[in-house]
Amino acid sequence: MPKKGNKKNIALVSAILLFSLALMTLNVKQEKGTDFLDSVAGFILSPFQNFFTQSIQSVSDSINHYFFLVDVARENDQLKLEVQRLISEKNQLVERLASQKRLAKLMAYDDGWEKKAVVASVIGKDATQWSKVVVINKGTQHGIKDHLAVVTDAGVIGQVIHAGPNTSKVLLIVDGRSAVDALFQDNRISGVVVGMGENECQLKFVPNTADVKVGDSVLSSGLGGIFPKGLIIGKVSQVSKKKQGLFQEITLTPSSDLSRLEEVLVLLF
Amino acid sequence: MYYFSQILIAIFLFSAQTTWLELFSFGGVTPDLILVWVVYCGVRYSRSSAIGGGIALGLVQDSLSGGLLGVNTLSKSLIAYFFSTLKNKFYVEGMVPIGIFLIVSSVFDGLVFYFSMGTILKGEVASSFLYQSLPVYSIYNALIGPFMFVVLDKIDGWLQPKMSNPYMGMRR
Repeated sequence: MPKKGNKKNIALVSAILLFSLALMTLNVKQEKGTDFLDSVAGFILSPFQNFFTQSIQSVSDSINHYFFLVDVARENDQLKLEVQRLISEKNQLVERLASQKRLAKLMAYDDGWEKKAVVASVIGKDATQWSKVVVINKGTQHGIKDHLAVVTDAGVIGQVIHAGPNTSKVLLIVDGRSAVDALFQDNRISGVVVGMGENECQLKFVPNTADVKVGDSVLSSGLGGIFPKGLIIGKVSQVSKKKQGLFQEITLTPSSDLSRLEEVLVLLF
Repeated sequence: MYYFSQILIAIFLFSAQTTWLELFSFGGVTPDLILVWVVYCGVRYSRSSAIGGGIALGLVQDSLSGGLLGVNTLSKSLIAYFFSTLKNKFYVEGMVPIGIFLIVSSVFDGLVFYFSMGTILKGEVASSFLYQSLPVYSIYNALIGPFMFVVLDKIDGWLQPKMSNPYMGMRR
């Protein structure tokens, strides 16, 4: 017969397991189940996150711009931004040209960048080690809602998975739960960009027969309804063709540096 | 006063975890300050306080992450339960025992995520997770933990004489 202490232990562990499983079930069955907790936690913590982030940026700015290379660092930053902007612009133009060639007689190209967008700052990262999520300082009060695309000058970074009143969570494309329908800029072969929880993604379902090279650009295909067509996702960094199997193993490096995100653009459409 | 100070510590740790701690990442892995604090609660406080702390901290961590609600609640509360129950059977002082506790806790925490991701969320996890990220995470926590224990002990020691009814049965 179990002792009284053992019974208490079993009851405690059972209670913990039941409570956690109930939370998981609630979360999986009802996607909105965690909204309240998310909003409250975000509301309490966001001022502190803002404070820490701004302090770090100030210190970092001081070191970079004043103590070491006063003007060079600043000019370098501007030039990097300019290069990113030009690459992005070039990609948009190439994509626009290709699209217009194909669809010239059917319809006018709808330029997504002319639509409304909100600039937001990244104020925090995921509280755990494993999810690739960032917190931005704009929420429903600024027109942000769930499943909106989030980009930088360099390309796609992810989608909004929870929009609170003043903060939102953005699931990055490298997270293991992220999947973005994509196509190659040159040969127009499609695939799905899937996160692996690390700094790179994989491009799945690209047939073995497709001609894919390292350095090829991958764009969003517009399918799925979240990411507009033609946004750059990244470049192929590794290709491996297996003798057996239908698909290639393609590794993709995101075009944006996801470990150093500061300002992002949430596309409101 | 005691609970207020604990809330302030929690706010500081969560803010640090979600902002500047990434500056100290090693191979993309950062230590989990919340995990270290949960182990601290398990080792230093009474069982009910430790489990309560584990549940609360896990729940807040779940809320501040994009993962599945309940994963950290489960791992953190079980870690708190485990150490609060077994602390009298082990030698719990010194860097080595604390380091070992943190390695065990980190591996458990990572495995709970791994299995929840693979089974409930049906997400992808890189194959290097088990042999690269998880060991680095465990060792990093084990290295940071003892220093955090010293700081938390100092804070506790500083708070104790300032309260009329210190800890209210919080200590083991």
